[in-house]
Amino acid sequence: MLAKLALRNVKRSSKDYLVYFFTMTVVVALMFAFNSLLFSKDVQSMFEQAALMQVMLGLATFFIIIIVAWLINYTLRFIMEKRSREFGTYLLLGMKKKQIARLYMRENVILGMGAFFAGLVCGILVQQIILSVLYSMFSLDYVFNVEMNGGCLIMTASCYAGCYLLALLRCKRKLKKMNIYNLMNAEKLNEEIKESHEEVKKWLLPVSGLFLLLFGLWLFFGKNWSAEIILLFLTGLVLVIYLFYTGLASFIVCYVRRKGALVYKGQNLFLLRQFSSKIKTMRFTMGTLTALFVLAFLGCSVAMMFNFYQDRMLEEKMPFDVQIHSGYTEEDFAAELAVIEKSASIKEAYSYHIYENGTDQVNVFLYTNLKVFGDTYKKEDGSPDRQAISHMHDFFYCTYDTFMGLTDYNRLRNMLGLEEISLEEDEYAIHIKDRVFRETGDFSDRLVIEGGRGTLQFAGYYTEPFSQDGHNGGDYVIVVPDAEAALMRPYYSELAVELYGETPRELKHELDEAAKRLDFKQAMGDPDADGTLYANSCIGSDTIMVYAADNLVRDNIVVEMKGILFTLIFPMLYMGLVFLCVALTVLSIQQLSDSAKYKFRYGVLKQIGMGTKQVARLVLKQLVLFYLCPALFAVLISGIIAGYVGGKFNFYSGAATPSALYFGISFLLFFGVYSIYFVATYVGFMRNLESGEK
Amino acid sequence: MKEYINVCEVEKYYGSEAGMTKAVDRVSFQVAEGEFMGVMGASGSGKTTLLNMLSTIDRVTAGHIYYQDTDITELDPDKLSDFRKENLGFVFQDYNLLDTLTIEENIVLAMTLQNKNRKRIEEDGEEMMRMLGIWEIRNKFPYQVSGGQKQRCACARALINRPKLLLADEPTGALDSKAAGTLLETFQKLNETKKATIFMVTHDAFSASYCSRILFLKDGRIFHELIRGNKSRREFLNAILDVLSLTGGEYDAR
Repeated sequence: MLAKLALRNVKRSSKDYLVYFFTMTVVVALMFAFNSLLFSKDVQSMFEQAALMQVMLGLATFFIIIIVAWLINYTLRFIMEKRSREFGTYLLLGMKKKQIARLYMRENVILGMGAFFAGLVCGILVQQIILSVLYSMFSLDYVFNVEMNGGCLIMTASCYAGCYLLALLRCKRKLKKMNIYNLMNAEKLNEEIKESHEEVKKWLLPVSGLFLLLFGLWLFFGKNWSAEIILLFLTGLVLVIYLFYTGLASFIVCYVRRKGALVYKGQNLFLLRQFSSKIKTMRFTMGTLTALFVLAFLGCSVAMMFNFYQDRMLEEKMPFDVQIHSGYTEEDFAAELAVIEKSASIKEAYSYHIYENGTDQVNVFLYTNLKVFGDTYKKEDGSPDRQAISHMHDFFYCTYDTFMGLTDYNRLRNMLGLEEISLEEDEYAIHIKDRVFRETGDFSDRLVIEGGRGTLQFAGYYTEPFSQDGHNGGDYVIVVPDAEAALMRPYYSELAVELYGETPRELKHELDEAAKRLDFKQAMGDPDADGTLYANSCIGSDTIMVYAADNLVRDNIVVEMKGILFTLIFPMLYMGLVFLCVALTVLSIQQLSDSAKYKFRYGVLKQIGMGTKQVARLVLKQLVLFYLCPALFAVLISGIIAGYVGGKFNFYSGAATPSALYFGISFLLFFGVYSIYFVATYVGFMRNLESGEK
Repeated sequence: MKEYINVCEVEKYYGSEAGMTKAVDRVSFQVAEGEFMGVMGASGSGKTTLLNMLSTIDRVTAGHIYYQDTDITELDPDKLSDFRKENLGFVFQDYNLLDTLTIEENIVLAMTLQNKNRKRIEEDGEEMMRMLGIWEIRNKFPYQVSGGQKQRCACARALINRPKLLLADEPTGALDSKAAGTLLETFQKLNETKKATIFMVTHDAFSASYCSRILFLKDGRIFHELIRGNKSRREFLNAILDVLSLTGGEYDAR
């Protein structure tokens, strides 16, 4: 009998909780799809960092379980409140509390199972989308292939069950505490609006605004980044997210009390009061929602920024198919060329030297003038701190400035399809990373480059991508006429290779293996030694995604780097989406349950002369207010942070990341999902109101 | 007295062909301007259905209801809500105050919906609250005041737009006898001094005794009518109780 009743109850309330059901389905679908990445053998073999991604996804799963458990608990409490009268009746009829609890649990298990299986079906679809995105990221062809891995199923099921278990336990406790009277009257309870100290509390609103302003200023212009300050600001941010709503509610209450000009216009009085009382009672939930929105926004924006980097910067960073560094100036690269020729056909190979003349004026200039180094290499009077710089030798920049002969330079430009340049005998040019150049501007007036026949004249800057993470110099290389280069000492050797067709997948690995043996034996002076030598130095000032290695094989590294980025992007998107859906569901459930509980309010409005259309418009306005408030607040906070992160991204990575665009796209994506929930809520709301009239 | 509201042969059926219920069966009567009219009847006699039709909340199955020259049975829903806004005021047994608004805001809300100017809203609001004795509690929320005060607030809200007709459905149903007395005296005062036309549905003889005319409803039809004339309230109450005892005394008389 209980089973029958449970089933019927589920059927009856399924319409009311469509939004909840939908979200649970989406959550299961996402869980299943992302978990399948953990278990898929194909994915694991696709890139080396699969293990790292498993850790990241595991971490994401942890947060997701907590948030989803919160959602389930929240919903269960709401359903319980809505149906308290029914539960009271069961008690009156002589059912035991235990039985009711069991009935309720059973209903929820049915609902949950329904969502689970629906989610699995959708999950297969999502899985296909994710896998095809993944394959295309690695430039592989994806063939439709449903991965039904036992481990994945078990993991999804146990995550999901874990969420439910956490939530149901809490709910059971609440059910135990209820008595018949409370249950029967819970529905009738009107909202009790407690107003106290509103005049004081309203100051929280401007204070929150001021804090956000300070927070923004600190992020963009702040110099003091001590752990205490960061902690202070983060704590402040969390507090502000929560206190903002108390402030806003009180502000509106005070405005209404003061009888501000807007109060007496049309339906404003009702709207303002409705809104303020709602956010007042829900301030904690609203704060949590805002936090979730902020995380979702940031997750999406940052994921896209990384993706941009992946799409464009990696190829820019490595313009040559293969680039090999050797600290050994007599290197002829014969062994490396042999390795390459074994598996690929060489279109063009060119080996050359990077030179030095014992000066370090450019290095010192960059150490003391780039923002990324701050004041680390400056003395208090602003002059270069030689001692600090000498400690960093061969890390960011080499000990000496790096030079290149004009013929070598033009040959490399040729290989890249760039126009050759010409220099007079007493001229020099600088090839520098675009990002660095944009920051320093022209600094040639600070340089005095002595050639064999006097001081060289500056002839121009070139900023095309030129493999300047330690190969063709770090950040920059000075191009001088061949006669001048001949007077300098070779610093290290480089080999640039262009290949025909696709680069073999294992080329870098093979090169590394070969180099490992060669270099180590050379360095140790012992033909039997085995081990690894550290890669090239002088990597330049980029800090996000620096690939410092002796052997650069672009297509191999791109795949590897994509793997790393992928481990960051996918978990972020995963969390962002789940958080968004959870937050929206809570908003929706709030409004829907209100529409049922406080139906009479709209009935009263009709009695005092509002038409059905007017009420519909009023409901729309109310929902828009309620939905927009946390979203806009989150947009404000995450906008500040995304702007900052984007700026830092440009600054450190050298990529001109269009962060505003990505924030905009996140925003659109967000509002796409948002509007689905909004429309569903509005329709449900109106249906609830109308159902009361019949 | 001028004929103000004219109810002609109104019928209301519920249900399908198979099981038809006649809630109101060919009822006709007139209400004059400034009249305090009561309708009495047992549960299921059709009195609330009648009130709902008069108040445009429910539609008639057949017949017409004229407010002066306007036939409200012919109006479309939009016009009906405008009509409601401009002509009718409501008082219900369970007050129906908005719990998120203070007493004062509940009252002025009705005026803001009509886009009246602020000065007028404030003056009229104050006058109405003072008259009904709720000025002192104007900044309280409904849950903070007594049932009688809530009902007077509902009256103030109903009357603030000077409706042509005040409709009251068991207004004293949830009040104790003292609060009920105060409310009914208020109705009487409004009726006498402000010339408010009141249409009250009740099954309580004590409440009905404040009216100037009473219709008795049974099974959807009018079966009796009492006019107070020059009788004192006590005499009128006795007359009402006599009618009720005739029908078997199924009404409770306080």
